[in-house]
Amino acid sequence: MSLVNWRTINVDALDPESAANFDLTSLTPALAPVSLSDVQQLSTQVRQLLRGGDAEGALRGALENAPYGGDERGKEAHLATVIEVLQSIRQSEMSPILSRIYQSEGGSEVLDTLMKYLMDCHRYKGMSQGAHGSSGKSMSPTPTGFSQAQSRNVGSDTGGQGMSVLLSWHEKLVETAGPGSIVRVMTDRRTV
Amino acid sequence: MSQSLRPYLQAVRASLTAALALSNFASQTSERHNVPEIEAASSPEVLLNPLTVARNDNEKVLVEPSINSVRISIKIKQADEIEHILVHKFTRFLTQRAEAFFILRRKPIKGYDISFLITNYHTEEMLKHKLVDFIIEFMEEVDKEVSEMKLFLNARARFVAESFLTPFD
Amino acid sequence: MAPPEVHHLFHHPIADHSFSADRKTLAVARDNNVELYERSGSGFQLKDELRGHDKLVTGIDIAPNSGKIVTCSQDRNAYVWEPSPTGWTPTLVLLRINRAATCVRWSPSESKFAAGSGARAIAICHFEEEDNWWVSKHLKKPIRSTITSVAWHPNSVLLAAGGTDGHARVLSGFIKGMDQRPQASVWGERLPFNTVCGEYLNNTAGWVHDVAFSPSGDALAFVGHDSSVTVVYPAGPDEAPRAVVSVTTQSLPFMSLIWSSEREIIAAGYDCEAYKLHGDESGWALAGSVESKGRPGMADRSEESALNMFKQMDLKGKAKDDTKLNTVHQNTINTIRVYAGGAGGVTKFSSSGVDGRVVIWNL
Repeated sequence: MSLVNWRTINVDALDPESAANFDLTSLTPALAPVSLSDVQQLSTQVRQLLRGGDAEGALRGALENAPYGGDERGKEAHLATVIEVLQSIRQSEMSPILSRIYQSEGGSEVLDTLMKYLMDCHRYKGMSQGAHGSSGKSMSPTPTGFSQAQSRNVGSDTGGQGMSVLLSWHEKLVETAGPGSIVRVMTDRRTV
Repeated sequence: MSQSLRPYLQAVRASLTAALALSNFASQTSERHNVPEIEAASSPEVLLNPLTVARNDNEKVLVEPSINSVRISIKIKQADEIEHILVHKFTRFLTQRAEAFFILRRKPIKGYDISFLITNYHTEEMLKHKLVDFIIEFMEEVDKEVSEMKLFLNARARFVAESFLTPFD
Repeated sequence: MAPPEVHHLFHHPIADHSFSADRKTLAVARDNNVELYERSGSGFQLKDELRGHDKLVTGIDIAPNSGKIVTCSQDRNAYVWEPSPTGWTPTLVLLRINRAATCVRWSPSESKFAAGSGARAIAICHFEEEDNWWVSKHLKKPIRSTITSVAWHPNSVLLAAGGTDGHARVLSGFIKGMDQRPQASVWGERLPFNTVCGEYLNNTAGWVHDVAFSPSGDALAFVGHDSSVTVVYPAGPDEAPRAVVSVTTQSLPFMSLIWSSEREIIAAGYDCEAYKLHGDESGWALAGSVESKGRPGMADRSEESALNMFKQMDLKGKAKDDTKLNTVHQNTINTIRVYAGGAGGVTKFSSSGVDGRVVIWNL
């Protein structure tokens, strides 16, 4: 009996009337579940468009069908697809594509979804691995650390290559869709 | 400023501007209280989705917004042991003087080097765009500061080694 | 268009403001007190202070006909202040809530008022002559979080409320024995107390900061923390609404809104300026800022004296003073209210904000 330490029990969590037990699902419209195979099918379609040279169509297709109702793995797979599309578009084409999407029907919502992916891209495993070989803290090979200051920049620039593309996307997107799109990423409980 | 630093700071600036939309909000859990909801975390609906802006694995910013407060945590670039020590010393120096910085949090969030806590009282008293400028400037300066300290440390080590080895010359 | 009238009262947030019917008295909520300003010439002079609350005053409303002032505060109480020969006499209203009161509004009939609260309830209060006492009844049912704003329908029975649970709701605040049975409308026919006539949620589910009925009362608009303005046109009781139009904007979230006519909404908030929206059932769109950008005051800043420039460089290490925003309000706008013009079309509105300014705008 004395195994339970009564003093550390969070009584609020046990009270259904407590504010701590607010049901967050009441903030989202009903989401249809999306299976992993659906996500994979979509990603092949998107890749086909991309190979065909229709980068804008690929981006739109990937963002309009974001698997809000998918599970962890489905979402991760779709994140990889979106990032692949983003990385294949050249810097000079970003702004024109974004403003075309923004002016089209329902474009503002598509760009809000894009902002969600950009804010979430750090989760993408491929981003950090390529550069450092391992995740976690990267220490310089010289154990003493007397390696001169130039080594400061080496680590960041290789790892940040993929990231810096996404950061320029972010910059261009804020120019087009304004801070409102970031605000909606914060409020929207449908996560990507 | 290096080419990849600018979009990074720009992204942080945009996220902060969006997150610093705060209002006075009394606690829902304890009467006659008014606490930073992001720290109390007692009502899930007044917390928003956190934002992360990352330049790479070792440099990122976490912005955790809520209805009346925002917590901003920065992971400062540390390429080797020495920088790790320098960053640790530097942030320790600052956090021990947190009351003089108003928005500095005494303890960083796990996984980050330094955290700020901005409440609606700060945005009411201070100019919001200047608060954002302050965080951005801090991020720029701290990198410079660490580089400088490291150069200085290395120069000193070289000097010490030289004078130590002079008798054997 | 005449430039706006700017009154910088103090350097402190104004949570809410209200003008008397003759627009000569201005009441603003400052910290734990309410300050009454009297118009003198082109400015406003502090005339009286209503002390009584011991926490931040969050809402204030002056009844246009009776002149009574109702205030509410984070100390969970509300007061009704009545003018008397010796000054303002307060009557404490027991709201019977155990969390902060967040907003308060008189009903158009002025016989009752609604106070939103953090206790997941709205208190509808009316005066009981026999007991000489304000009685409070609670609207509780579907509310799941703090109420941030309330707005009355012109018929004084229906009440719109927005909260941090992301929903805007239309509820009935019908008090038996006092209210006339309202005429049937798009919101419903039989409206006993606490009937839920509508419940609306955005896709992006931001906290609702403000709600408002259109002048006719047949449409409802609300602004949320997702930088959106949503307008709902109901079809009838127990039916899906005819149209729900949501406008997502590029700017920061709005805190407050008013209808200036059936086809125009004015909203203001964290961007420190007010915007106009135009539209109808088929769609709404942002129509630009109320402020004209070539304001007086902009010009004399560009012609800064050389002395001033060197002073700036010497003191602050930079040539340009960038501490001023180029909007009239220098911080978030908390409340906007109608100042002149009625249901037919609003010609002037007033705004107050965190920067301690009250501004009267011409439309």
